[in-house]
Amino acid sequence: MLRVRDGEVEKLGVLYERHRTPLFSFFVRLTGNAQAGEDLVHDVFLRMLKYRHTFETGNRFTPWMYQVARNAHFDSWRKRQREVSLREAGTDEREALPSPDPAPDVKLKQAQEVKLLQMALAGLPLESKEVLVLSRFQNLKYEEIAGILDCGVGAVKMRVHRALKELREKFAQLAG
Amino acid sequence: MNCDQVKELFADYLVGSLDESARAEVDSHLAGCASCRDETRSLQTVWAKLASLPQEVPGPALDARFHAMLKAYRQGMKQADRDASPRVTLSDWLARWWPRQPALQFAVAVLLFALGLLLGPAFTQRGRNHTAGGGGTNDRALTRLREEVSSMKEMITLALLQQSSASERLRGVHWSYQLEQPDREVLSALLRALDSDPNVNVRLATVDALQQFARNAQVKQGLLDSLPRQQSPLVQIELINLMVELKEKESVPVLKALLQNSELNNSVRERAEWGLQKLG
Repeated sequence: MLRVRDGEVEKLGVLYERHRTPLFSFFVRLTGNAQAGEDLVHDVFLRMLKYRHTFETGNRFTPWMYQVARNAHFDSWRKRQREVSLREAGTDEREALPSPDPAPDVKLKQAQEVKLLQMALAGLPLESKEVLVLSRFQNLKYEEIAGILDCGVGAVKMRVHRALKELREKFAQLAG
Repeated sequence: MNCDQVKELFADYLVGSLDESARAEVDSHLAGCASCRDETRSLQTVWAKLASLPQEVPGPALDARFHAMLKAYRQGMKQADRDASPRVTLSDWLARWWPRQPALQFAVAVLLFALGLLLGPAFTQRGRNHTAGGGGTNDRALTRLREEVSSMKEMITLALLQQSSASERLRGVHWSYQLEQPDREVLSALLRALDSDPNVNVRLATVDALQQFARNAQVKQGLLDSLPRQQSPLVQIELINLMVELKEKESVPVLKALLQNSELNNSVRERAEWGLQKLG
């Protein structure tokens, strides 16, 4: 990123190849919508170019990228004033691909469980969803998440604990 | 270790970031406390289940969008570099040339005036002496001086045309009236202003300013090319007027092509038809 900042903007292509999938995953888990996810990934890389001068020497790229991503998501959320529900996004066939190995009934049960978990996650408050996605899927340390969320490490740990409890309750409700 | 302490360490326990002794203490508490054990196992199960969510992969359209955006940005940067470099140099040069403080500006003016008084008679005297024996040297000096002044005017015109303020760019357009034979760079800057200046008043003033150089082939072609590209009907009408005034026959096919455009503004259409009549 330092080289991008200093004018070698073509190097952004390398960062894009490396980070587009985790970033897309992050947005799909937050919004529950693949199209919104793609739009936001595009927006993040555009913002990186626009605000490349704000990247400071000594910073780690990934936490900085998620800061940009969070701002992009917040702006887009504010624009739409509502998140697209996972039910609507459920029409995206990529989301419900089951594992091909198990027997049909097991496969169906697994697919249902994944669907329920996705719905439970989508139903969490943004603050809880964010901290869970960052800690579970993006391989970030609590210290890095604290930097991204602009809070203390203790607060991050507390939020992870609370978010996991909320997810458990939501999942149980949906599973009946 | 009590139940509250275990809760505090839960997040680290979950991701395995506790050191060995802390982990052993938590395990030891969990072994003896059924409530904490059940709670921890239950949350660990949810955490593990999250891993079953499929990896989300973006479609190929995203790649195409990204690469197009990067390409456009790089081209924009190159253009900006080209546009910015002369502006900075000339602005810097002008800034250095004239002091910022009014008191200093006054002092410089007085100094120049005094120098004029002092050197003027001497220069005239020398001129007289030279005229007696060698008028050629004096003529050459005057020509050089005239060239330098002209070149300075060109630089000022260019610098003003590249300012971000529309009124400064208008001043640049007006400076160009002082140029007898501007070089290609100045003409290009004026034509660029005519084509793409965001302010319509600057574009209108540029049409007038370019009139004086309209016999120049570069300017004539620039004016003809600009007519269909203009977004403002006012500027288009001014350009048509100019073509008619110059009796420019080469503008006939351009005007005819303009009339083919079904979305052409009605006033422009009328003016173009009038122009064709006059030129035909």
